[in-house]
Amino acid sequence: MSDVLLQAENVGIRFGGLQALEALNLTVRDKELCCIIGPNGAGKSTFLNLLTGTLRPTSGSVRFLGHDIAGLPLHRIARLGIARKFQIPSVFPSLSVEDNLKVARWGASSPVRPVGELLDLVALGNRAATLAGELAHGQKQWLEIGMALAIEPRLLLLDEPTAGMTPQETLATAEMLLRLKGEFSIVAVEHDIRFVRALNCETLVLHQGRRLRSGPFHDIETDEMVRDVYLGRR
Amino acid sequence: MIARDRNWLVIFAVCVTLAIVYPFFADGYQLTVIRDALIFGLFAASLDFFWGRTGILCFGHAAFFGIGGYIMALTTLNDAIPLGSVLGILGAIAGAAFVAAIIGYFLFFGGIRGSYFTIVTLAMGVICQQAAVSWSSVTGGDSGLIGIPPIAFDLGGLHVDLSQDLPSYIFVAAIVAVVVLALWSISRGRWGMVLTAIQDNEVRVAALGHNAPLRLLATFVLSAAIAGLAGALYVCMAGLVAPDLSGLLLSTEVIVWVAVGGRGTLLGPVLGAIAIQRAQQTISSFNPSLWPLLLGCVFVIIVFVLPDGILSIYARLKSLFNGRRPAQ
Repeated sequence: MSDVLLQAENVGIRFGGLQALEALNLTVRDKELCCIIGPNGAGKSTFLNLLTGTLRPTSGSVRFLGHDIAGLPLHRIARLGIARKFQIPSVFPSLSVEDNLKVARWGASSPVRPVGELLDLVALGNRAATLAGELAHGQKQWLEIGMALAIEPRLLLLDEPTAGMTPQETLATAEMLLRLKGEFSIVAVEHDIRFVRALNCETLVLHQGRRLRSGPFHDIETDEMVRDVYLGRR
Repeated sequence: MIARDRNWLVIFAVCVTLAIVYPFFADGYQLTVIRDALIFGLFAASLDFFWGRTGILCFGHAAFFGIGGYIMALTTLNDAIPLGSVLGILGAIAGAAFVAAIIGYFLFFGGIRGSYFTIVTLAMGVICQQAAVSWSSVTGGDSGLIGIPPIAFDLGGLHVDLSQDLPSYIFVAAIVAVVVLALWSISRGRWGMVLTAIQDNEVRVAALGHNAPLRLLATFVLSAAIAGLAGALYVCMAGLVAPDLSGLLLSTEVIVWVAVGGRGTLLGPVLGAIAIQRAQQTISSFNPSLWPLLLGCVFVIIVFVLPDGILSIYARLKSLFNGRRPAQ
């Protein structure tokens, strides 16, 4: 199992009297693509915060390359090889697109891709000099993915990468990630089922803070219980 | 080179030229007035380097000015210390930097930002002023220390004596020019760009692998070190040091100089300090009680009419001119 990058075992977290997540397991292997889905309030973003070490689990453990990352400063987690795209587009509006990517690159221990290549990867080659604050919502999401790629991570964690995107942009984002598959491990938290269908990868379904189902997406998609949860029948 | 940088260099070159030709037209008194205003300008630039680049306001920056001043005074007044002026300047820089490093470490790594940072630094300024008053056996208490000699030293064949007006003016003007140019180079490079990014979104910067608190701390320490240098220069030129030099009034005044000159421009605060110092002396000679009222009015007007400070007048006129030209 030497190719295991991230391992979450029996992870749970409690906020006061609320058990937000309970007994979750997730193993991410090198260059693997997987999705975490679930309706609003299922605990997806909280689980992602546990996976990135932002939150410390009250039970279980999260290990990246064998290290316990809970509570480590963000910059050290990034330097270990974990890049994150936040749910709300999180770019530097005062800087140009190109400068956003430069700042991201400077944070890497050993940056590899030149800025030009990053711009092409996220389809922003013609917006390099534009202030990031002036980009359309979807382009900001792409820029943030580009910034995450700039630090040459081993693991890319994406929190709702297509939130607020048009259907065309959503599919373009899925194609972008499929092109990157094989270079990094990618975990995407999403509730847009079209996007997850386009990725067609291993999928973990959360519901009320617990694992509902996990497995290949085509099995998940046809699962009656998952359909009920998404349609709000449970 | 982008237009903004080109504009800055043009204004800087004009200022340096004016500083070079000024002694040909000014008498000794006028030189000392501008020299002292330049020292306050250096102090304003030090605050602007931190406030302008990080967006975090230090409301007790005079504490570092005062620390630098007292260390310089105590070093040069002690005859047993050889090369008192040189060691005094180095000690002033190191002392202010050390205090900033201690305070800044707990603030930045403790996650203190925004108005909380401002309030804590305000308290720091009050504590420093009170310490200067209370520790009278060392600081001279309320009356401070007098008889501080001008900077003079012999080092490796270099003889420096700043007891005369012209050499002291040239020395101060050269230091201000070099420091402002150096701070500008830092600000427009990689370091400055990451600071701008921190100002936009510190969490994002950290998630990209940058140690944001450490960068903020280093910027704060450098800013304090320059304020300490300014304090050291000032007490040698004025010949005295007093608790007011680390007080709340000076901390407030330096904020006004930066705001009037243009936050984030480095050169603007220097010009703002000179302009306000000159105006204060001129107006106070007619009516001393009128100045605080006028200063308040000027500050309010500048904030409303020129929120980016007086230095933005050049850029505004330039864009106005460029904008109209095609229509002609």
